[in-house]
Amino acid sequence: MLRVRDLVVRYGAIQAVRGIGLDIAQGEIVALIGANGAGKTTVARAIAGLLPYRGEIAFEGEVLKPNNAERNLHHGISLVPEGRGILGTMTVQDNLLMGLYVRRDKAQAMKDLAALLERFSILAERRHLLASLMSGGEQQMLAIARALLSKPKLLLLDEPSLGLAPKMTDAVFTMIQDLRREGLTVLLVEQKARQTLKIADRAYLVETGRVITSGPAKEMIDDPVVSETFLGGRATAAHP
Amino acid sequence: MLIQQLVNGLTLGAVYTLIALSFSLVMGILGVLNLAIAELFMLGGYFGFAVLMAQLPLPLALIAGMAGAALVAAIVERIGYQPFRAAPVVTPMLSTLGFSIILQNVATNVWGSDPLQLTDEVLSGRFNIGPVSVSAIQLTVLGVTVLLVALLAFLVQRTSIGRALRAVAENRDVARLLGVPAGRITLIAFMLSGALAGAAGVLIGVHYAAITPYIGVEIGLKAIAVMVVGGTTRIWGALIAGPLMGVVEVMTVAYGGSQIRDFVVYGFMILILLLRPQGLLGGGRSDQGQRV
Repeated sequence: MLRVRDLVVRYGAIQAVRGIGLDIAQGEIVALIGANGAGKTTVARAIAGLLPYRGEIAFEGEVLKPNNAERNLHHGISLVPEGRGILGTMTVQDNLLMGLYVRRDKAQAMKDLAALLERFSILAERRHLLASLMSGGEQQMLAIARALLSKPKLLLLDEPSLGLAPKMTDAVFTMIQDLRREGLTVLLVEQKARQTLKIADRAYLVETGRVITSGPAKEMIDDPVVSETFLGGRATAAHP
Repeated sequence: MLIQQLVNGLTLGAVYTLIALSFSLVMGILGVLNLAIAELFMLGGYFGFAVLMAQLPLPLALIAGMAGAALVAAIVERIGYQPFRAAPVVTPMLSTLGFSIILQNVATNVWGSDPLQLTDEVLSGRFNIGPVSVSAIQLTVLGVTVLLVALLAFLVQRTSIGRALRAVAENRDVARLLGVPAGRITLIAFMLSGALAGAAGVLIGVHYAAITPYIGVEIGLKAIAVMVVGGTTRIWGALIAGPLMGVVEVMTVAYGGSQIRDFVVYGFMILILLLRPQGLLGGGRSDQGQRV
């Protein structure tokens, strides 16, 4: 479904991503794990079309143009960015309506919105509230719900557990599994590696802009490289 | 006398409000002061005058003024803003300043530097309500302003384009992730802003029955002062600041003399900057995103 080859992204003189390649098949949950600053977010933003890059990103066989987020959304790629990206000065309802911005099937879109509000009842209760006034967990739900309204084929989730209480993190991870069961493909960018690997099918471990190892998620939990560089010593020490 | 001056001040303030909204719309979305707006206001007046001089009615003159100024605003956006979008904020501002001077120069060459005067009265008649006398033109200026502000509010708050404008104003990247063509929305913001300035140009031209290529500088600067007083992070601040500044100006002239008019108006702006830099309606830091 998604093929990334030799991806290089620079921020001025800094090379944040140094030739990363990855593949995602239809219906998979693929995890991109690594320490803070490893380049995970940059990869997700490049795939979503928010950044210029060198290399190739192809989605469903079509090579995507860099820095073309609007077009990528039309292709079916939706990113829930790090920090949730809710529009805090708008109401919950306006945020959700923004999720329908690209939909041309307005009647069906409104039905989808109604169905979504049934599924996320807290959003229905708070639809007239300013989004910035909701709790972190509720904002994350809003961000995911809003992304779903564009009917993505590939959902990119960047640090969805960031700043959430453990109970809310569990709820978000359960939701991700539910979405996969419904047929959605997910690229999950996370620092909570152990929890992420438990729900992912495959994973890539990124360090200083490169993939240092990849494979089935269940095997990676026991992989000594992963364990040493991320689950155990170094990363933990660097990011207490 | 006082109530009469109040009505006169509100009429002038209505025009300031429209131009200040025009400045704020672009400022709110892009954080850029489009200095060409003052001349879009002037050009709108000339386009409207051209229609009125062809003996066509005022509503058509308003449409011509708005459409003409919106088109010129689109050119300013494509040439004077887009190429410099990634540059430091002062670069597009200087570019629009260049456009402003060019537009004034074009107007001087096309229409001459002498005031162009309306020979026929566009709207006649006065309405006396007790001691207050309101002209039909004053009522038109106030009515059209209220109508345009209401239309703008509806567009921004209730339509898909308005939500997209607000989304781009708050977070351009998130707006793009939601499929909003940020470049096109920026162009729309410039054109809307131009249309408002153009309408103000027609209204002030009709009100004074004359227009000059230099009218944009004076009134445009006052409109910037209105935007500052209202709060640059909240476009709706102009709804309070516009009438307030109009009334302050007219009262100053009536009771203090025209020689101290600008001293009081700009002094008031500086006072607001000193006491409440965020403007009358601007909030604190948490409010920064809510510009449009």
